[in-house]
Amino acid sequence: MAASSAVTDEDRLRRIEQITDTSLSHLRIEDLLTELLDRVRSLLEADTAAVLLLDPSGTHLAATAARGIEEEVLQGVRIPVGKGFAGRIAAERRPVIIDEVDHSNVLNPILREKDIRSLLGVPLVAEGGVIGVLHVGTLRPRLFTSDDADLLQTAADRIAMVTRTRMSDLDRAAASALQRSLLPGQLPRVNGMEFAARYIPGEAGGLGGDWYDVFSLPSGRIGVVIGDVVGRGLQAAVVMGRLRSALRAFALEEDDPAEVLERLDGNVQHFEDNVMATVMYAIIEPSLERLALSTAGHLPPILAQPGTPSALVNVPVDLPVGVSVGAPRRTTLIDLPSDALLFLYTDGLVERRGRTLDAGLDDLNAAVVSDDAETVCARVLHDLVGGTPVGDDVAMLVLRRLGTPDVVPLNTVVPASPRTLADIRSAVRRWLAATGAPPDVAADVLVAAGEACSNVIEHAYGPAGGSLSLQMDLDGSTIVTVVRDNGRWRSARGHNRGRGTALIQRCSDHMDVVAGVGGTTVTFWRTITEAGS
Amino acid sequence: MTTATVVVHPRDSAVRIDIGGEVDLENAGTVEEQLSAAIPNETTEVTLGLGELSYLDSAGLRVLFALAARLEVLQIELRVHVPPGSVTRRVLELSGFEGVAALE
Repeated sequence: MAASSAVTDEDRLRRIEQITDTSLSHLRIEDLLTELLDRVRSLLEADTAAVLLLDPSGTHLAATAARGIEEEVLQGVRIPVGKGFAGRIAAERRPVIIDEVDHSNVLNPILREKDIRSLLGVPLVAEGGVIGVLHVGTLRPRLFTSDDADLLQTAADRIAMVTRTRMSDLDRAAASALQRSLLPGQLPRVNGMEFAARYIPGEAGGLGGDWYDVFSLPSGRIGVVIGDVVGRGLQAAVVMGRLRSALRAFALEEDDPAEVLERLDGNVQHFEDNVMATVMYAIIEPSLERLALSTAGHLPPILAQPGTPSALVNVPVDLPVGVSVGAPRRTTLIDLPSDALLFLYTDGLVERRGRTLDAGLDDLNAAVVSDDAETVCARVLHDLVGGTPVGDDVAMLVLRRLGTPDVVPLNTVVPASPRTLADIRSAVRRWLAATGAPPDVAADVLVAAGEACSNVIEHAYGPAGGSLSLQMDLDGSTIVTVVRDNGRWRSARGHNRGRGTALIQRCSDHMDVVAGVGGTTVTFWRTITEAGS
Repeated sequence: MTTATVVVHPRDSAVRIDIGGEVDLENAGTVEEQLSAAIPNETTEVTLGLGELSYLDSAGLRVLFALAARLEVLQIELRVHVPPGSVTRRVLELSGFEGVAALE
């Protein structure tokens, strides 16, 4: 009788093996583990089974799945490594058997409440490291044997393997989602400048901590970043996200790239544990003619100009961020003539197996020429990556100053919201710098354009909002600014209002307002004359 | 996003308030609240430092005009420090702000 009904241990182990196959690959990791625990319970003829996984800090075990003692998971039980039953298993990396649980001395109150009498636990080991603990328990006293321990360990090894794989997949997916959400999908559109960028994950989908960033600053300057957090996977991507945000915050407060990196360094040293990153930060002047650059351990960019061989920009390289307090950081000014192209990259592009860094840089210099920014990206990837997967991830950012001698008209349409005012001013400042207007004229036109836009935002639309169009062009030596809305004009309300129009009049030579059913158009003219004339 | 910094230095019955950054339609309301909060009733003199203010539009002007009017009612003296030749000074001059407070 017994022989026919008895399911052998081999059979039961096979049932665990089956579950680690692809048939249940659609399950969430928690559900998969729960399913596995049912089979482990049956294998060991136990009443309870639980998996605790080591948290990222490596100091605590967190209950992840449980059968018979579901409270462990529901209450988010956390056990310090080295303490209690499960903590000891993780710390000592060996099976622990408790024949008679001493309830006066149990760390976890749930074991007491459930009145668990005997326990057997084994470590979950994957790739040579402990990733958690698997334990089973009984409600009647039982003497677990070393054969039981071996059997549970065999099950644990299979569970560890599938858990590890599943967690790596999850990490990869999360890192990928993070990268996608953090890298700017669309680079800012800047009159007179062209940008292009690429991010290539490393071999086997190895995402990492490389990033690039381009943002407009309130002063009309443009911030440009490329960086590389040492490390790979989700952890590096998460740190990258924090560094990117911190750098953006400091960029709003400091005008000197060296100072921004110094503050980023302070931030990393204070808040991040064991993090090192190389970062290059540059600020392009509103005229686009020059940029200020500081590099924290990051490879220098390549400058390409028509008629000159491309070369690494000669800048002093300071310490990476997160290392230690070093010499003061330095900022270098670099001229960016018309048609010049600056190529920023991370080391994954030039550091390849079987090739020296210098050889990589030579290849890169040969591939980077002053051409359309997108073309340069494609060409560099073709020449340097070709058909071989990159080992480390690669980020690259190309900026090129467009060489049109004439001033390109500014043409922008934005939502009529107060929020857009600062961005509009940045664009206007850059455009004015490109016209070569003297500072007093530029200041007046900036104020007048700001007022005209402000008027639209405040008066043209009801709560539903609308859009605002700003065009600026140079007609001979006269700046012509046209601000349009397609709403209905409403005169100013409240006290101390209506000063805007007066300001536009005083800041321009002539102003014209055409209000109609289709909207209102404000046009003003200001001739560029030398200061004081 | 438009950002302004409002730094308050109280000194006995006088208050010096330095405004830096930019003030426009977006943040004028916030700046107005910060200014009101910075001036207690027992104040006899307010000095506005606008040397670090790089942009001021009519929404910002409205705040300054309203402040000047209120301080006049409360009989609190208002002094405005703004460097000659700066963009902010030009906007204040163009708007006739000198009519309500002297620019120093």
